[in-house]
Amino acid sequence: MTMEPIQTLNGDFGFTGNDRRFAFSRQASFQQPRTPISTDSTDLGLRKPFLSRTDSSIDIPPPGPHHHYWSGHDDKPSGSLERSNFSSFVLSVFRNIRSGHRYMKRLFFMISLNVAYSTVELLIGLFTGRVGLVSDAVHLTFGCGLLTFSLFVMGASRKKPDGDYTYGYKRLEVLSAFTNALFLLFMSFSLAVEALHAFIQDESEHKHYLNVSAVTNLFVNLIGVWFFRNYARINLAYRNAEDMNCHSVFLHVLTDSIRSAGLILASWLLSIGVENAEVLCLGLVSVAVFTLVLPLFRATGGILLQMAPPSIPTTAFSKCLRQISAREDILEVSQARFWELVPGHVVGSLSIQVKKGVDDRPILEFVHRLYHDFGVQDLTVQIDHAS
Amino acid sequence: MAAPSSQHTQIIEISGELPDTGRKICGEATCEFSDAGSISKDSEERSTAMRKLLIAVSLCVVFMAVEVVGGIKANSLAILTDAAHLLSDVAAFAISLFSIWAGGWEPNPRQSFGFFRIEILGALVSMQLIWLLAGILVYEAIARLIAGPQNVDGFLMFVVAAFGLVVNIIMALVLGHDHGHGHGHGHGHGHDHGHGHDHHGHSHGLSVSTSRDVKHTKDEHHHTHDDHTHHHDDEKHSKDEHHHTHEDHAHHHDHDHKDVTEPLLGESKAKSEKKRNINVHGAYLHVLGDSIQSVGVMIGGAIIWYKPEWKIVDLICTLIFSVIVLATTINMLRNILEVLMESTPREIDATQLQKGLLEMEDVVAVHELHIWAITVGKILLACHVKINPEADADIMLDKVIDYIKRVHNISHVTIQIER
Repeated sequence: MTMEPIQTLNGDFGFTGNDRRFAFSRQASFQQPRTPISTDSTDLGLRKPFLSRTDSSIDIPPPGPHHHYWSGHDDKPSGSLERSNFSSFVLSVFRNIRSGHRYMKRLFFMISLNVAYSTVELLIGLFTGRVGLVSDAVHLTFGCGLLTFSLFVMGASRKKPDGDYTYGYKRLEVLSAFTNALFLLFMSFSLAVEALHAFIQDESEHKHYLNVSAVTNLFVNLIGVWFFRNYARINLAYRNAEDMNCHSVFLHVLTDSIRSAGLILASWLLSIGVENAEVLCLGLVSVAVFTLVLPLFRATGGILLQMAPPSIPTTAFSKCLRQISAREDILEVSQARFWELVPGHVVGSLSIQVKKGVDDRPILEFVHRLYHDFGVQDLTVQIDHAS
Repeated sequence: MAAPSSQHTQIIEISGELPDTGRKICGEATCEFSDAGSISKDSEERSTAMRKLLIAVSLCVVFMAVEVVGGIKANSLAILTDAAHLLSDVAAFAISLFSIWAGGWEPNPRQSFGFFRIEILGALVSMQLIWLLAGILVYEAIARLIAGPQNVDGFLMFVVAAFGLVVNIIMALVLGHDHGHGHGHGHGHGHDHGHGHDHHGHSHGLSVSTSRDVKHTKDEHHHTHDDHTHHHDDEKHSKDEHHHTHEDHAHHHDHDHKDVTEPLLGESKAKSEKKRNINVHGAYLHVLGDSIQSVGVMIGGAIIWYKPEWKIVDLICTLIFSVIVLATTINMLRNILEVLMESTPREIDATQLQKGLLEMEDVVAVHELHIWAITVGKILLACHVKINPEADADIMLDKVIDYIKRVHNISHVTIQIER
């Protein structure tokens, strides 16, 4: 009765399995543990490998005798319909983290490392009275807070849809990616301000004792870069919700390491007597961070703005509309709206006016199948009979 | 209603089409969210909000200039820091202004719902700015603590913070003062326009229709729908005329204002609280947060002035007040989060709606019910309704849409009737 939600991999639009724009494109036989959309929550198991050679791009099971594309989803709201309270939510999230997939475990490890490191730095800074160390520790704590939020979201997004959140919790991943991207943009802005500050002030203020902490910071962040190396692209083609979140974590650790590297470089250049080294390095880092983060920011922003799915070109949509209105019993198609819940899950709604007395079932089948081929799984079609 | 009035309807429809062609064409998708009714109401709200924010921004810039000049002359870091905080206020207002302005952009095929969500994203960004600033303030307090016994002038801290507080209070008054305005204005209009406008909307833009008769049949459909609702409310009847002629639109707004608000007065009171534009509310929270923090710094400054050895009080004060500020943002963040997660808005009772639908005769099942908001106040619904195979799909569709609109006040609905 329940139909398996099918993820078509956009075969029509040139995204072959070896497209370098996807995450994991370097590892041919990698199996990404996917969080399933509706049913059971095993991580391993019956997931198809991403890049199997016999992967056909459109993989729809043949429709049975009375198979309707829409009637499979009997979404009974699970459990309570009042707003679940916060503490039970948090507890369930922690349970999820325990049984989490590998990125969650890695992230957890990284966060603990960061927390340990920043606490040490903070204590040393407080005891020796060095403001620079304290500021660095505070900055690191901010970053940790964000990463903890990402981790929390990785766990929380697995919750099944309920009465209030009828679309489930997957949007949280997009939100966390957006927050991360925003924070990184703020950071790039503050680095620019710091560069300006260094330009106005005398170079002699440069705190050379920060070098040790910068090196350690760089080391810790490089571990993170290695953990998340599968997301090492700037313009990633996102296939599902976790992609965005993990990409944002990667960018976070990458930009942190760039910043530490920049500080070390500035310190070294100053020591060999290069003028305005700090300004240059900070400025470069600021620009680099900005360009790295902007694509993620725009992609997440687009999803949150209910923009039409970028993976499906507008020509495809117009083609669909033309095909529908070309049928003889259909008079008009209007209010066609599509948006992405998370990358890969497209939701749409459409209004069709048909001639009086026409049987609506074959039309519904046709429209649903047409859009299903493009990857729109949730479609609501309103049919008005002209009278 | 007899044929003459449908003629009447048809004629007005055509003439009404022309002034609007500029607005509504967005490729193949006609834009329900940009129909004339909600445009005038929205742009009214939008322009009041923008005006308020513009006043607040100019005040802010003036005060900031004063503080910068004073700070440079007195060579005081504290005053310059406060000027920087005012700068952050300006940034928050700029974000809110931009969000409000951008929210009025016309929908296009890429953004089929219009740009209403930008308001929510802008509010989210300014909330995060508040959190960031609270963190920076805490960091500064810690830095002040570590920097040791310097010439921390308690008196100066106090005066500067007091000045900042006064400025913030003025701005809070400017932003918050809209009690008379929001009342009754809100939902009556938007929702009553809903379905009528949906049909009206069909004749605009590039509709791919095959024969000229289409317009005729559509008008009749439009008309029969109004018949349906006719016996539900009498105000509807006056509204039929009203949404045909766009020029009289503003007029009828005022005329029907009284009719609509009387029966709905109970709900309108509750809703007018929510009707304050979310970005203005965000800016208001920002200013409120700043005032709270100014109070905290004033208290810290006063204590240090009185007893210079109690430096740690400064840090404790800052921490406490930062926590208070963050607490004020929690509510707004929760609203933002709920909208962004496409969850069922709080004002709609989904169980009730589903039960009501199931209770209708010939309705067998309801599934894939999704109710979500594009921004606070603009709600959409989509669901699949399974009916008895013998029932008339058209009648059932009308009944369902009418029920949802009448009882739950949602007008942007898409219902898929299945057998």
